[in-house]
Amino acid sequence: MTREILKHMVLIFGAIVVLAPFYMMVSYSFKSPGEIDRGEGGFFGRQELMVDERCVKLRDPNRDDIAAARADFPGQSDRDISAALIDQAEADCAMRPAMFNYTKAFSEAPLLRYLVNGVIVTASIFLIQIVVALPAAYALAKLKFWGREAVFGLVLFCLLIPVHAIALPLYIMLAKVGLTNTYAALVVPWTISVFGIFLMRQFFMTVPDDLIDAARMDGMSELAIVWRVMLPTAIPALLAFAIFSIVAHWNDYFWPRIVVTGNRDLFTPPLGLREFKGDGDGSFFGPMMATATVIVTPLIIVFLVAQRRFIEGITLSGMK
Amino acid sequence: MKYNVTAMALAFSASAALAEDMVTIEFAYPYSHLFDVTYEAMMPAFKEAHPNIDVKFRATYESYEDGTNTVLREAVAGSLPDVTMQGLNRQQPLVEKGIAQSLEPFIAAEDDFEKDGYHNAMLSLSTFNDEVHGLPFSVSLPVGYYNMDILRAGGIQELPKTWDNVIAACKTMKANGIDNPIFWGWNITGNWFMQALLWSQDKAIVENGRVTLDSPEALVALKQMQEIFTECEMQNLEWKAALSSFSAGEIGMMFWSTSALGAVERSQGDFELVTGPFPGLGKAPMGLPAGGNAAMLTSTSDDPKVREAAWTWLKYITSGDGAAEVAKTTGYMPPNKAANEIILADFYEQNPNKQTAVDQLPLLRDWLAYPGDNGLAITQVIYDSIERIVTGDATDMKELQIEMVEEVNDLLPNG
Amino acid sequence: MAMTECSCTPATTTALSAQRQEGRAAWSLTAPALVLMFVILLVPVLVAGFLSFTNYSLGNNGFDWVGTKNYEKLFTRSTYEKMFVATFTYVVTVVPISVGFGLGAALLINSLGRFREVYKTIYFLPVMATLLAMAIVWEFMLHPSIGMVNHVLEMSCGTLLEVIPFIANGCVDRFPLWLGDPDYAIWVVCFIGVWQGFGFNMVLYLAGLTSVHRELYHAAEMDGAKSGWERFRLVTWPALGPTTVFVVTISCIRAFQAFDTIEAFWPQGGGPNKSAYVMMFAIFEKGVQQNLIGIGSAITMLFLAFVMFLTLIQRWLVERKVHYG
Repeated sequence: MTREILKHMVLIFGAIVVLAPFYMMVSYSFKSPGEIDRGEGGFFGRQELMVDERCVKLRDPNRDDIAAARADFPGQSDRDISAALIDQAEADCAMRPAMFNYTKAFSEAPLLRYLVNGVIVTASIFLIQIVVALPAAYALAKLKFWGREAVFGLVLFCLLIPVHAIALPLYIMLAKVGLTNTYAALVVPWTISVFGIFLMRQFFMTVPDDLIDAARMDGMSELAIVWRVMLPTAIPALLAFAIFSIVAHWNDYFWPRIVVTGNRDLFTPPLGLREFKGDGDGSFFGPMMATATVIVTPLIIVFLVAQRRFIEGITLSGMK
Repeated sequence: MKYNVTAMALAFSASAALAEDMVTIEFAYPYSHLFDVTYEAMMPAFKEAHPNIDVKFRATYESYEDGTNTVLREAVAGSLPDVTMQGLNRQQPLVEKGIAQSLEPFIAAEDDFEKDGYHNAMLSLSTFNDEVHGLPFSVSLPVGYYNMDILRAGGIQELPKTWDNVIAACKTMKANGIDNPIFWGWNITGNWFMQALLWSQDKAIVENGRVTLDSPEALVALKQMQEIFTECEMQNLEWKAALSSFSAGEIGMMFWSTSALGAVERSQGDFELVTGPFPGLGKAPMGLPAGGNAAMLTSTSDDPKVREAAWTWLKYITSGDGAAEVAKTTGYMPPNKAANEIILADFYEQNPNKQTAVDQLPLLRDWLAYPGDNGLAITQVIYDSIERIVTGDATDMKELQIEMVEEVNDLLPNG
Repeated sequence: MAMTECSCTPATTTALSAQRQEGRAAWSLTAPALVLMFVILLVPVLVAGFLSFTNYSLGNNGFDWVGTKNYEKLFTRSTYEKMFVATFTYVVTVVPISVGFGLGAALLINSLGRFREVYKTIYFLPVMATLLAMAIVWEFMLHPSIGMVNHVLEMSCGTLLEVIPFIANGCVDRFPLWLGDPDYAIWVVCFIGVWQGFGFNMVLYLAGLTSVHRELYHAAEMDGAKSGWERFRLVTWPALGPTTVFVVTISCIRAFQAFDTIEAFWPQGGGPNKSAYVMMFAIFEKGVQQNLIGIGSAITMLFLAFVMFLTLIQRWLVERKVHYG
């Protein structure tokens, strides 16, 4: 029994270390700059009204503004009017910290657009990978043809080349054909998943030949067999692969950082976060943590909902 | 009432704008923490004045290095923005590569364009081959930021005038139990502080296409840095962390660009902040490099409407209302005298901290570009070398100088 | 020709043509994948190999051959020495520790009666989370004055924990700067690498453990393996062999690709004194940011060589296992 408790203690300590940054991230995303600086306020912060200094600065009065406001403050000096105007601005710019952080996260940069881009890019990568890999995997697993060994050998060789490693020549080639700063640049290098071919081939090997022969008897073309016979049998393996692919590309930072420069319309979530990070202003920790929370959350939710599938998937693809 | 009228005017002008066609120009600038608020403040008035121009903001550059590198890559990819803000020291290579275009045709076409409105010294920073290629937007000089509460607690009454004073102040403060007396901005963009120490001795870092890192002045600069870092036991803070630590009131003296003044004041904790002139080597500096950035036209569009719109924007942000916002929202000096007509008459009396840089204006010198294609790589080599001083990795400055010169020579044309 | 030469029955002819048809179908099914493999994977390797002998820059029209000068620089300049040191420090630290923690967590969790799923979920969270986002959070936590890490350390001042020299020193002077100190920077990056990666290894090990049969433990016990350690050494560890080989390889490849954390912490320079200047960052800095494509390509080629070497060792190990088994 004591052993059991000891084990739990070790594991709980590990869990605290693992969870600490997540806790901080969510907690900071609720807090005001002052609370972050001083490390106060518990998890949710005190949610006292705070003043958005930038918003105040935007309403810093000019000569014209003071002249216009003179009617409202009869008999006062310009300096007093100016002070009164600033007070008024401060009152109008007060907000609750949590509200402030999350509205800033969505208004400072087109965060929604980034999320949509993330979905577009990961989805198209995955779909193209499947369209390319499934037929090849089927041919390698079930068709006899001259050169099959060579093709499979090539697949095994290409498994040795991680795409990140050849990012530089890929970038140069894309630049030469004028494709940098396009969706294509974000998607193209990932369209071929040698790993996917390998995984699906191993899986197809276990599909009985009778199934395919029967389909041929029915007069199906080979391509039709791939999509109408093999695909349905491969759903579990495909799910595993999907998880692998989506996690990798939603979170990828290196490649988008290389091929996308300034155009926000093409930014994926990590790129958007990086731009936020360029902001050195201490008062923006909160909104940045809010952005980070928004970006991390989708995959975590999907993971929590489909946890079993996830872990099975990673396992399956890991164990080949 | 007033708002209703403006709203109606806006609605009216917006529909009028729809009748003409909208022109979209793309625009990118660096340092969002300094300038976001500036551009945000400008936009409403600009929209009102030019309802048919839609300015599309690209992602901000993290630094001037990032900005130049991005533009160079975009030139290859054919996706340049129409207007870009570039560090004053990065204009030359962009002009040489033909990426930034001459503004003379536009200036000639203007009836009432007042080159005179721009400070001459500032305009000359963007003039190449006698043609203006950029309009200065914001100009800064290095200054000292002092947390007077900490200084007083450390027994310092007077602001330091030389680096020896600074070091003495550090020691006094340390003796009085101040943990963190100083942050000296060696890691500021473009080796700016290296150039500041060289200009202080009236030495240019590039002379006739030659990098003068092998000069005795450069060695003096390196030794001075070493003295400051070691005698003051300066922590090697990342600059953003340093700015926020200073704003939070944890650092006594910070040497940095006047540009951050707006940002520091916005997040300043409860202490008295005073800025003072940049100290010198033994005596007052003989010159200081001009920091800041200039607006450059990089449009690849053939459409005269787009080019005209780009020019309109470029001119707007650097003059009049635009320039006034620079003074109000940042610690930079506005490039244009016209700005003074718009900001409060006693602006600098009310903001004495912003006055320091203005006082130093006579010292303004060029923030120099390194020759050839590898300017960014050279900047990095010098950065890496200075970092070795801060971290205590390099102790023999003579040796460090030799290594640095060798690596820089590798990157120079014909090197 | 074929007709006259063999005394073929119609059946074999159709078989032959069916075979030919199958071949044609197979090639057309593999064609897209083949084309992409060539264009996206093989051609770039050749391009990088080619460019590594030049001084090419994007945007320039021509280039000069510089022979092996780029490679010479890699092996003589102190900057690149730092690059190799950082890369290998990272790999050599992160791989064993993240494999060890993964295995440890898997064994602990597997031996539990309750709450398995909870721990599994928690430990797997960092694998899912966007590393760049988490790196930024870590940066805050490690902030020298407002970060949580130093706050927690300061709380231990004045307690019994002060017997630890590290904490005693920190209490007297100050706690480390972490990201600004060349003595700590690379270890912080390693720590985050382990933090992020060990959950993945744990899941793989948990899967591996399900395939260890209970009878084997009984058999081992019969043979006198009384202690838990003996049982682990005799049964579990050998049974996990293939898993381990795979886990180690994939951890190595991932470790070589470390980039996000370093770029987030030190966008300029790769850490104090370049102490975290790993190869991926060097490729990015030299090749992409500074447009020194020759040297970037040379680093790329070395990088590929390392990764291929590692993967080949893994295959060799796996195959040896298969032969013995």
